[in-house]
Amino acid sequence: MIARRWATEADFGRAIVVGQMSPGPNGLWVISLGYFTGGILGAFLALLAISVPPLLVLVIARSYARIERWPRTQGAMHGVSIAVLALLIAVIWTILRQPGVDARGLLIATGAFGLALTRKINILLILVLAGLVGYLVYR
Amino acid sequence: MSASRPAPGAWRLLGIWAGIGLQSFGGGTSTLLLIQRTFIERRGWLTMEEFTQLWSLCLLAPGMNLVAVTALIGKRLGGTRGIAVSVAGLLLPSATITCLLAALFVRAEHSAVVQAALRGVVPATAGIMILVAVNFARPLIRARVTIGRWYPWASAVLVPLFALALIAWNVSTIAIVVSAALLGTLFFAPRAPRPLAADIQKRGES
Repeated sequence: MIARRWATEADFGRAIVVGQMSPGPNGLWVISLGYFTGGILGAFLALLAISVPPLLVLVIARSYARIERWPRTQGAMHGVSIAVLALLIAVIWTILRQPGVDARGLLIATGAFGLALTRKINILLILVLAGLVGYLVYR
Repeated sequence: MSASRPAPGAWRLLGIWAGIGLQSFGGGTSTLLLIQRTFIERRGWLTMEEFTQLWSLCLLAPGMNLVAVTALIGKRLGGTRGIAVSVAGLLLPSATITCLLAALFVRAEHSAVVQAALRGVVPATAGIMILVAVNFARPLIRARVTIGRWYPWASAVLVPLFALALIAWNVSTIAIVVSAALLGTLFFAPRAPRPLAADIQKRGES
């Protein structure tokens, strides 16, 4: 979703894929886009460009602190907590609806959820395992 | 319900965020889960309720929500310096790796091995995201005590409804967040707090 704003239609598929592998936030793909178009300087400018707008949240948080104790504000936040969950479900849905995700993909998703739920296995290891399963199943 | 463990120093904070940035392959999904695990479950510097509140504020900010929530957590734990070390710690290592991966990917894009492996990794990120969602759902259920017994039920109706609006009717994210906030001001505002049993007792004694 974030990538949509940064990448062109043609780059979009590739953006999603690299974004889903790479560490850190999704939108970081724009940094590699910056690197390809403007070298190290391009990458650095892209990094600046994506890290500054989110900092506006500090202004929002400051105004929020002033009205935090109002019952209506607290009510609004309880409403937004519900939206947060719905947004996550929409993201999960979008990922699972991608071409290339079939019934076996749903099994992999379930397995990854189960392994993550145990809290004993490193997330990175789960993803490596999933890659391995993908290789064995889909090659 | 506020988390009260002593906050970390700037270097420790930088190290923690860099660790999250380096480990969280799989796009933002695992980043979010690792943040929840590190700051809430392992260190106890935040409660899930506080984190949900910070994350909700981030939905109102432009750009990447994960950078915004990193800044807010950094601020809470280390002030202005906390913001700088947290955001830099998250972004610099992971941005470097992203660059390398993108460069490699252009070469390996059409390799059958890479494509098959990715078909495994992509649904796995969705599976991890489900756990993130479960973590976010917990405060909604616990809130029956503070807001009202019916709040979890209201959530159980509204969550699928909002999700459907996003998925099937292509309603924009911001429209969902704003209407959820409006609904909240109308229906989820807490009533005047009831005095706690301990307070009543104290008052009785004095």
